[in-house]
Amino acid sequence: MSQVRVSAVIVCLTLACAASAVEPPANHRNFISCPIVRDTPTVPCWLAEYGGELYYLGIQTDVSAEFHPPLLGHKVLVEGTVKDGPRICGGVVLEPLKVSPLAELDGTCNTILPAEEQYTVPFAPRPPGPSGGRLAFDAAPGAPRAAPPPLTGPQEFVLYYDFDMRIGGRHSNILSRIYDYASAQRKPKLDIACHRGSTLLSNGALITERADLGIERAHELVKLLRGAELVADTHVEDTPTLTPANGNADWQQRRCVVRVEP
Amino acid sequence: MPRPAARLASAAAALAVAGAVFAERPNAVAQWWSPGEGRTLPATATFANEHGRTGILNTSGAIDTRGQPFFEPIGTNGRACVTCHQPADAMSLSVDSARARWDASSGKDPLFAAVDGANCPHLPQAERASHSLLLDRGLFRVFLPWPPRARDGSVIEPEFTLEVVRDPTGCNTHPVYGLKSAVPTVSVYRRPRPVANLKYVTAAEFGVGPFNLKDAQPAPRDPATGKLVNQNLMADAREPTLTTQAISAALTHLEMRKAPTASVLERIVGFESQIYAAQSVDAAAGDLAESGGPQALGPAALAAGRTSVLGNNTTAYVFPIGDVWRSLPRNGDAAHDAQAAARESIARGHDVFFFRTFWIKDAMHINTVGLGNPIKRTCSTCHGMHMTGMDTANGWMDIGTTNLPWATEKPLSPWAKEAPEMPLFKVTCDKAPAPHPFLGRVIYTQDPGRALVTGRCNDVGTIVLQQFRGLSARAPYFSNGSARTLRELVDFYDRRFNIQYSDTEKQDLVNFLSTL
Repeated sequence: MSQVRVSAVIVCLTLACAASAVEPPANHRNFISCPIVRDTPTVPCWLAEYGGELYYLGIQTDVSAEFHPPLLGHKVLVEGTVKDGPRICGGVVLEPLKVSPLAELDGTCNTILPAEEQYTVPFAPRPPGPSGGRLAFDAAPGAPRAAPPPLTGPQEFVLYYDFDMRIGGRHSNILSRIYDYASAQRKPKLDIACHRGSTLLSNGALITERADLGIERAHELVKLLRGAELVADTHVEDTPTLTPANGNADWQQRRCVVRVEP
Repeated sequence: MPRPAARLASAAAALAVAGAVFAERPNAVAQWWSPGEGRTLPATATFANEHGRTGILNTSGAIDTRGQPFFEPIGTNGRACVTCHQPADAMSLSVDSARARWDASSGKDPLFAAVDGANCPHLPQAERASHSLLLDRGLFRVFLPWPPRARDGSVIEPEFTLEVVRDPTGCNTHPVYGLKSAVPTVSVYRRPRPVANLKYVTAAEFGVGPFNLKDAQPAPRDPATGKLVNQNLMADAREPTLTTQAISAALTHLEMRKAPTASVLERIVGFESQIYAAQSVDAAAGDLAESGGPQALGPAALAAGRTSVLGNNTTAYVFPIGDVWRSLPRNGDAAHDAQAAARESIARGHDVFFFRTFWIKDAMHINTVGLGNPIKRTCSTCHGMHMTGMDTANGWMDIGTTNLPWATEKPLSPWAKEAPEMPLFKVTCDKAPAPHPFLGRVIYTQDPGRALVTGRCNDVGTIVLQQFRGLSARAPYFSNGSARTLRELVDFYDRRFNIQYSDTEKQDLVNFLSTL
């Protein structure tokens, strides 16, 4: 099914969304709201409110973290699963979790809560200023670092995207891996298939990324790899499919798959 | 010939003890280095400034500058590289030196060449007002094609349109030099950066890959070697290497008719790569590079330091100064005790720089690189490069020095006697895939910065971080010279990020910065 046809079926092209016939999973929390910063005696933690409940998203660490905090000044799409256990920073923990700052500015998202004694993050891997000598999630000095197995043969690299967004700084590492592997081949062939996605929100609404974003993402990748002077036979799939959203890890739809054949 | 390490140690010792002292008091006229003078640049030299003395260390020893192209007027306008990169000004140019030169030469020094030493070439060149941005803010005109060109000369389609809102210099609306001329050109006004300590500025062993960390755009390569570069040269990183920068500077600032030869370029880059500059004596704290003193201070420390090291940690530190000045004894002698107090203030200022947290908010290419907006961090988060305080790789950011609403400008009011000095542009990001995350789709700026090279909306107003060394010798500060003093620089940050520094913290921070 082509991207255009799927868009017509889903109808919902913008954030003003149609209700979906599919029931969102009960333990999932997919919603759009303003992120909230709560200061602590060490690093701040990030929260978001939905349906009268406060949810914990993560803490500030550094660029080595899997969790990249959202942006005040923007609403955020939260796609997470409720995790049993104690609250952190006053919020119900969501794990796994994907947060996507939305592109448009929203000046109402400006809440910084002051530190309170009962909210601490003793598990923070680094303080708010200088580190102890390494990034938060790098291996400790002297710790054995498992070398990745050497890649051979056809390889697939997957890039995931924030909602309605294109490439960003966090993609530089995987782009470099694609570049390194492809440029090490004698006559590399690249197949690029990019998808836009939709997300089923917990209130039953469906939101879908803008039309043509899949192909935009693919062409952007081609431009970047060529800009890095990668010489490769590159093919872009121009009719990628859109998997119907079901509220369960829908963010994985928003992706590009780059297949490198030696 | 002594080994390099021995030569370095010898030079450092000479600098610490005395070196060549060019002036006991600030004297911008006596310290001026004119093109083609043929003087000898000693291995070590110190030059007076208001905070003490700046030290210059030439790791290859004394050189006869006669015939050395960095010091010779190799172009058509009488300038040399040294014209705007003066040893007394830590290899940059202070506004005091520019003023002194205007007075001494009645405005005829090649420094004031119409091409970029004037607000615009069409202005009457004999009038001081035509050079006001150089004489009042230390700014040179940087003129760039619009739309931008890639290195192969192809046109880059920008994500935004550019309109001139205010044009105090007349250059951006001029029929020959402006945006609507036959060769559409943007004129912005920037400070010259120090040509010293360049092994740090060009090092590319940390955080440099095929795609830069800020926005995953392809990183440029050295056209001569094919190696990746770190994009820390110049305010907008438009030139990848010292060699290409020298070619560009020769063709524009020096108005050479064709590019310098390979051997000339090699000699210029060779000289630039062996020069280190830092404050070496503080008027209150004394010898900054004395044996057993703070490790990071003085030019010899820079010559010996490691490159490509992230210093935002308590292992390497950005500026390792240790604890030697943290708590000093007093003996009742006024001079001794005053020096001890000054040294303790410097140590406290270091801690303000390194440990004092505040909310860094709405800063493009910092809050957007995965840290979140805002982040609770310190000065050293952004200024993290060991020994220089630059960013370790591709260091352009927007903290509001050129973008409104934070950029400094003379206020418009019926009672104001001064008029706005800087051009003002309206940037409309109607072709960008998403609005600028903090400034939206319409941005007002004095200088679009890196965006004049990339055409990207998110780069509007982003400027490559400068090194912090030799600051006392080269006021004013920021790329647009908007902070006349280090105190004004600190005040800008305090205002921009609502840091709420105390007066003591501000003074300590100024004292610390002035020793770098």
